Amino acid sequence: MIVDVNAYLGHFAFRRLRHNTAAALLALMDAKKIDRAVVSSAGAITYRNAQTGNEDVAQEVRGHRDRLIPFAVINPFYAGWQDDLKICHEEFGITGLRLYPKWHNYQLSSPCCRELVNAATERGMVISIPIRVEDNRQRSWLLNIPDVPLEEIVGLVKTHQEARFILLNGIGYTGCPLGRKDNGLPPNYAIGLSRLSAVLANELGQLITNLGAGRVMFGTGMPFNYPDPALVKLEVLDASESDKERIRSQNATAWLRL
Amino acid sequence: MTIPQTTLSSPEHRPHISRRALLKGSAAAVLAVGAAALPSAHDAAGEQPVPDTSSGPLRKGKVIDCHAHLTHRSRATWEADDCKLIEAADKLGIDQLCCSTLTPLRPATADGFRACNRWTADGMRRFHGRVLGYCYVNPGYSPEALEEIRRCVEEREFIGIKLYNEYTCTEPVVFPVVELAIELGVPILHHASHSHYFVEDQPRMSDGGHLAELARRYPEAMLICAHISGGGDWEWTIKALRHATNVLLDTSGSVTDEGTVDMAAAVVGVDRLVFGCDSSMTAGVGKIRGANLSTQDKQKILGGNMMRLLGRRKS
Repeated sequence: MIVDVNAYLGHFAFRRLRHNTAAALLALMDAKKIDRAVVSSAGAITYRNAQTGNEDVAQEVRGHRDRLIPFAVINPFYAGWQDDLKICHEEFGITGLRLYPKWHNYQLSSPCCRELVNAATERGMVISIPIRVEDNRQRSWLLNIPDVPLEEIVGLVKTHQEARFILLNGIGYTGCPLGRKDNGLPPNYAIGLSRLSAVLANELGQLITNLGAGRVMFGTGMPFNYPDPALVKLEVLDASESDKERIRSQNATAWLRL
Repeated sequence: MTIPQTTLSSPEHRPHISRRALLKGSAAAVLAVGAAALPSAHDAAGEQPVPDTSSGPLRKGKVIDCHAHLTHRSRATWEADDCKLIEAADKLGIDQLCCSTLTPLRPATADGFRACNRWTADGMRRFHGRVLGYCYVNPGYSPEALEEIRRCVEEREFIGIKLYNEYTCTEPVVFPVVELAIELGVPILHHASHSHYFVEDQPRMSDGGHLAELARRYPEAMLICAHISGGGDWEWTIKALRHATNVLLDTSGSVTDEGTVDMAAAVVGVDRLVFGCDSSMTAGVGKIRGANLSTQDKQKILGGNMMRLLGRRKS
């Protein structure tokens, strides 16, 4: 089984996405033998009121909950986020969040964000953070959104030891405490492999060595990304089949209680 | 310095990814060693095409990475790094890599690019049959650059020229290099990017528009626009190059945006696409595998088009 912890539905403001409806994404997943995917709203990345994107996703995955696992995009600086969180969890049955601190212009260390992380954790929700949405070199002339600095993630995981984080679309973890062995950080975060190298520098292999295969998860970034590069990484990765199986599905299954 | 021949360049290397899996856009190899089985095709509910999974006989063809680099020898790990490149190519089913060696700091001096080319030539010997060489020059050193290109192509069997960002490709200082490339019948791989902001550390960056302009000036030239998937707004680049029929687009780069290769194929045609990685190896292979193109079209991109280009050499 393959579980993709890094997928999206809907429209993105700056580029047309294909395979971005539930039906189309499922067809792509079938073609790639990906069984389940965690999806959130691509539109909510730039919507002022992100909740409307969550409503779209909740509607879209209806009838496909066996394969599409919705996550909610919550902006803790936007009015009514507590209500949105409650609705997403209790009415939509959403079990995880995606946070965009740079796109939504807040600090991970801010009191509002801390409040959100605590509230989500009390509900048992997993919190995923895309380090980037797309390569900054191709950004629109309208904006300049930096990647989330990994140092800010270090502070986050230290502060919220009971929370569970999945870090997506990142790279360079081995160059900071997050990816180092015996780093003194709580084991409350896992790392998605979408941008990690599996040959040459082989950061993926280094992370398995340093943190263990239980801390890495399969994720493609589809339909922003072709799913194939992530699949290729698993093919060429020098790791045991049991480690690969943990990365493919077992880690996500355990974290998401699938 | 004499470098021993490595054993990594065995023509019998066995890739983790079979050519079939690479061509078919299949995830089967993830699940089954050898990737003998292909998944059945799924209809995309009429909304969007899904990647090609049609079966059929495969024609044997080389897989050529049109954009690769050997490591500059100021880096202590250069020899191991070069071996890792070949190991990665082995794993990914890449038969040959078109490599240049670049100076760590640019603009390159004449001594700097000559040293790089000596090391590239040495790499061609160490990894015989696997590494093909681009001659890297700074066009600002015109006599030295032209002499170096001629030596590398005619005496060292380099396959082309690599130009970086020392000059925008439409500056007249570049023209003698292009004219020599035409005389020798070799391609120029040109670094390029288009961002919607000024890239301060590369003030003379070329983009697809510049390359299209150069192509109009020299319709006989064989130009390759480097890394459309690592060169800023790839949609802009593809559109800028639509009518520049003597410019090929190199698919390399770390960006794996869905639809990149598909759009390039639709806009400029598969005959003008060449597969590359530029050190982003799984990204490079994955994009081609993921593109919704026929096996025959993927074969062209993976090596057929580059073979055709290299076949136009005049010496």
